[in-house]
Amino acid sequence: MAWITKNSGSTQIERRDTPYLSDEVKEAFNKRYAHRYPTRAALALPILHEIQHHHGWLPFQAIEEAAAFIEVEPSVLMDTATFYEEFFLEPRGKHTVWVCQSVSCEIMNEAKITEAVREKLGIEPGETTDDGLVTFMKVECIGACGGAPCALINETLHENLNAADVGKALDALD
Amino acid sequence: MPLDAPVLFKRVPTAPWGSANERIYVDYDDYVAQDGYAALDKAIGMSPEDIVAEVKAAELRGRGGAGFPAGMKWSFLPPPDGGQRFLAINADESEPATFKDQILIQYDPHSVIEGIAMCMLACQLDTAYFYIRGEYHHQREAFERAIAEAYDKGVFGENSRMGKVNDRAPNLYLHRGAGAYICGEETALIESLEGKRGWPRIKPPFPAVAGAFARPTIINNVETLANVPHVILHGADAWKGRGKGRPEGAPPQVPASFGTKLMGISGPVKRPGVYEEELGVKLTDVIERLGGGPLPGENIKAYFHGGISMGVISQEEAEQGVELDFDIGKKWNNLGLGTACITVIPERTSMVSMARNCARFYSHESCGQCTHCREGSNWIYKMLTRIEAGDGATKDLDMLLELATSMGSMPGHNICGLSDGTNWAIRTIVNKFFGEFEAAVSSKRTVSLV
Ligand SMILES: Cc1cc2nc3c(=O)[nH]c(=O)nc-3n(C[C@H](O)[C@H](O)[C@H](O)COP(=O)(O)O)c2cc1C
Repeated sequence: MAWITKNSGSTQIERRDTPYLSDEVKEAFNKRYAHRYPTRAALALPILHEIQHHHGWLPFQAIEEAAAFIEVEPSVLMDTATFYEEFFLEPRGKHTVWVCQSVSCEIMNEAKITEAVREKLGIEPGETTDDGLVTFMKVECIGACGGAPCALINETLHENLNAADVGKALDALD
Repeated sequence: MPLDAPVLFKRVPTAPWGSANERIYVDYDDYVAQDGYAALDKAIGMSPEDIVAEVKAAELRGRGGAGFPAGMKWSFLPPPDGGQRFLAINADESEPATFKDQILIQYDPHSVIEGIAMCMLACQLDTAYFYIRGEYHHQREAFERAIAEAYDKGVFGENSRMGKVNDRAPNLYLHRGAGAYICGEETALIESLEGKRGWPRIKPPFPAVAGAFARPTIINNVETLANVPHVILHGADAWKGRGKGRPEGAPPQVPASFGTKLMGISGPVKRPGVYEEELGVKLTDVIERLGGGPLPGENIKAYFHGGISMGVISQEEAEQGVELDFDIGKKWNNLGLGTACITVIPERTSMVSMARNCARFYSHESCGQCTHCREGSNWIYKMLTRIEAGDGATKDLDMLLELATSMGSMPGHNICGLSDGTNWAIRTIVNKFFGEFEAAVSSKRTVSLV
């Protein structure tokens, strides 16, 4: 829910000495993206994606460094990062399972898939297994309705699922 | 009459001309071997005005949901003033039950890229951003590969065969979204492109005047642009030979529905998938002939005919002859053709649960700027959850309808069309299937709410 703001007054910011955005990384980002947009601020999404791809989530310090890099206030980049469903502001599991819950999937028995994931992992949507292996998310339509019910496991699409398939796919994660 | 030959799916195997299992990525060379980039070469020899005039004459309507005539949109641009001008390609495709653009992006990306290049020529736009939704991983990989090929073969870049466009080397970049339905709305897409949260802008100014980075910007859907090469290569008249014109003697305000359209079919049918048909085809025909009809043991009750935001069509209406064209909204009491991706709702599925699913979607995806969209959708969701659980009262149904109706209409009440979607989805489901809602509140009610 993009518009719900969280109380961040008591947030503890974890810091580390080595920067997330080393000079090398910054140079690579500049080379890859800077020429694409007329403003530095427009680098926000590509760079947040890159950071999350590397670290699995967006540590606050990394957002601060990225903000300095694209010449906006940290609060401005934070504003962007909090809006998008795909950006994780807290650590998540090594793997993420996204089960689609929109109309076509609901009609084609998404409930069974969700139940299978829940049972297998022993967690509710939005949670991560204790061993930090898998995060379970429910999502709105992922645009694969012809293969409903469907789910994304990390970046791979699984279509025409049944409970047994999901179990197998989850077993294969390590 | 069934379509005799595919237009958009010329290189993408689809029934009845091929099987989805045979689909492969069509690379630059394969594309060129099959007529590819011939239209771009033709366009390079034309003046920008002539390209726009041809698209206008073809009455090519936007395929992203609103059906706005593409040629007309292109002619709203101010003349070049020396500054940058942008094209944003809408590949956000987040409307529930919609999955048509992804086929083109993944298997025949050069058909989209050719259309992009032609739009850049026609409108004198130097930079194009392909805004693709974050969840389209396979599609993103395919499209990045196609972009690299296009640079390599001199479609874009310093050595572009188009030469300078708007006095600059033409460029196409992929921009990845991050999971927000609202970023499909054109001005939210622009905000997101600029690195901000996807909050739709108040219009005017319209994007054609001040869009991305406050510069003139055209926004078109993937499928719309993929149609442009065909229109230019074969001419407006050939394009208008397919689909459905306006009725005899109808004024020009009545929308014509020329050309073919990608149509998705999902739900319990024998052959779900994406197909191409002429506009004006009967809904029941699409389901029976292309979708193979319902699965054994399933009976169809209703359809989302163009993504959930357009509302529902009952099987009863469908049997009276609903045709998929741009006039469907006025004729059959829904918001419009939308994306023409159809979800089949079987008898066994409760319409209360469908309404609840839609309301959850809108309340989750509302950007929160307009109060009635943010609060109204959440309120409707809570009410429907309660009704579904058997805790609803009869008066809830009146309130549901009142709330949905007061979600407002754009422009005037809302910044964007999201809450119109809420309004039409909920209102048509409740009105067309009132009996199910009545039964849900009268038979199951267990707790007093007063
Ligand atoms: C809430 C909302 C979501 C939208 N999502 C999409 C989308 O995912 N893809 C799309 O092409 N158009 C979407 N649109 C329509 C766009 O605003 C715009 O009309 C369209 O991209 C214009 O392209 P076209 O004229 O080629 O259809 C959406 C509109 C609204 C109000």
